[in-house]
Amino acid sequence: MPVTDKEVALSERIEAFLAELKRGGSGAGTLRGSGETARETTALLRRITGQAQWSSAGDLMEIIRKEGRRMMATQPSETTVGNMVRRVLKIIREEYARLRGSSEVTDQQESLHQLLTSGGLSEENFGQHFKDLRANVIEAINELLTELEATTDHIAMQALEHIHSNEVIMTIGRSRTVEAFLKDAALKRKFHVIVAECAPFCQGHEMATSLSEAGIETTVIADAAIFAVMSRVNKVIIGTQTVLANGGLRAVNGTHTLALAARHHSTPLIVCAPMFKLSPQFHNEEDTFHKFVSPHEVLPFTEGEILSKVNVYCPVFDYVPPELITLFISNIGGNAPSYTYRLMSELYHPEDHEL
Amino acid sequence: LFRQTYLQMYFRTQISQDPDVASAAAAIRSLLEFLKRDQSETLLGLRENLTEAIRRLGEADSSVAVSSGGELFLRFITLTSLEHLDFSQSKNLLVERGELFLNKISLSRNKVAKLCHTFIKDGAKILTHSSSRVVLKVLENAAADKKRFSVYVTESQPDSAGKLMAEKLRRLNIPVTVILDAAVGYIMEKVNLVIVGAEGVVESGGIINKIGTYQLAVCSKAHNKPFYVVAESFKFVRLFPLNQQDVPAQFKYKADILKTAEDLDKEHPMIDYTPPSLITLLFTDLGVLTPSAVSDELIKIYL
Repeated sequence: MPVTDKEVALSERIEAFLAELKRGGSGAGTLRGSGETARETTALLRRITGQAQWSSAGDLMEIIRKEGRRMMATQPSETTVGNMVRRVLKIIREEYARLRGSSEVTDQQESLHQLLTSGGLSEENFGQHFKDLRANVIEAINELLTELEATTDHIAMQALEHIHSNEVIMTIGRSRTVEAFLKDAALKRKFHVIVAECAPFCQGHEMATSLSEAGIETTVIADAAIFAVMSRVNKVIIGTQTVLANGGLRAVNGTHTLALAARHHSTPLIVCAPMFKLSPQFHNEEDTFHKFVSPHEVLPFTEGEILSKVNVYCPVFDYVPPELITLFISNIGGNAPSYTYRLMSELYHPEDHEL
Repeated sequence: LFRQTYLQMYFRTQISQDPDVASAAAAIRSLLEFLKRDQSETLLGLRENLTEAIRRLGEADSSVAVSSGGELFLRFITLTSLEHLDFSQSKNLLVERGELFLNKISLSRNKVAKLCHTFIKDGAKILTHSSSRVVLKVLENAAADKKRFSVYVTESQPDSAGKLMAEKLRRLNIPVTVILDAAVGYIMEKVNLVIVGAEGVVESGGIINKIGTYQLAVCSKAHNKPFYVVAESFKFVRLFPLNQQDVPAQFKYKADILKTAEDLDKEHPMIDYTPPSLITLLFTDLGVLTPSAVSDELIKIYL
């Protein structure tokens, strides 16, 4: 099959994105933060839908799955890529079902009810061709993109309900979502923020600078002081890298300590996480859960004598179990951690959990 | 009356011919056989006969699993026959769908095992309770995946079912140790995770299982070890016990004891109830569920 110019341009675009992903993982590169990654991924998937050769929904889903697997393999710790791929797959299923005239997409979902009532093993192979499918899917992806662009604002809008005057809030490291959340509340309320610096990358320093520029009284503390200071704190508000399927978190290292200290003092722990961070994974996956970076930050190479005698690790993420979390604030509102399974069933189709 | 005793015989032969089959599946197969031979002209008549048949099956084997299988079958009959107004037409459809349903649930155990074995890491020490065919399948899959792990099984009195489980595991070349039921607290610090089966999964997300499971769950909570439950979806049952007493007496004791005992309070119960707060995750053929997701699934079917 002759390769058209459009296909060449498309594969170039995909390669460029993969290279960005690979670099973005180490902090350099233009992809800053998971929000941008999510938007870029969705834009790329929209381009694939528009420009690739496909005749039925099944073909399109296969193409997207293939590209999705490649993207996920490049940077396994960046789960937003996989999440967006799964969202788009669900969009395709819904649009296909709507065009076919099926009443509920939930027909296809596994449930006791479906086991009892369906005749024959449901083999929905998405083979039918519809003229409007391409346009409909692209429109739905556009809606998804608008939703993505507004997530931080929607979360920040809920700030006033949770932050009251003269409160002491604790946070850790740097999260753009929490930053926007706190700045929005600061427009109307006066409160105090304590930022744990989050060694060894010490992103807490940047967070503190940014918050104080917005006129919020900020204090920076070392991670070791978290427990000591916790008795003075009213609320803990943190961001996270991923929300796992059981309601647990994969957050920056040090968060588990913070959560345990908060639990000990019965301080509520609020997590600000947009919906695109919700991932159908569990924390059992050994190979992809943790990410280690250069131990240079922990023990610099100048300490040559010690280096040969010790093993030095610098993990990036921490697992926080769902029992330690009080509330999730996302762009669609506040939810308890035990409700995560429901949000997941609305966002993703069970067959897409494993791409 | 002849039909009823035939039903019990059929059920017993099913269990003895294929010891690996889940008791709920055997119950459903027996009920399907009953359905094929049934002569009722109306849906109501059929339901009455079936309810009587399920009660009879309960006399042969009073476990929760048989009861949940029976309820599910009854629900299946109602839902399927509602599709056709003419009862005689739906009769054939019922038999056909029944066979399909049985095929599907025979695959459930494999689905559960596929989901769960990835949670077993290399070098893991697993603690399990009594003898569960689903747990056996999970461990079989993990062993086939070339994972190295060792298993502790509780003896599980009064029927020493744990020893049977140990035998089966030894045949799979998995290192296994049988421990006393009383030694659960002692061994808990050594294990990495606890996996148990379930005879029934209740609406709150808790489980009904062999006596001793509750103890095991409390111990693992105290030691912060994950407590996993593996169960097929046909074990979901519409009960909501708030404590041990709430579990109906017909499930707690074996069928013959129920008939002959004078004072049930003096008998030893065979099952107990484990509340959802002690369970970390449930592995079912509908996916990996948190205990709060179970009631959602039940609502979907019994809506």
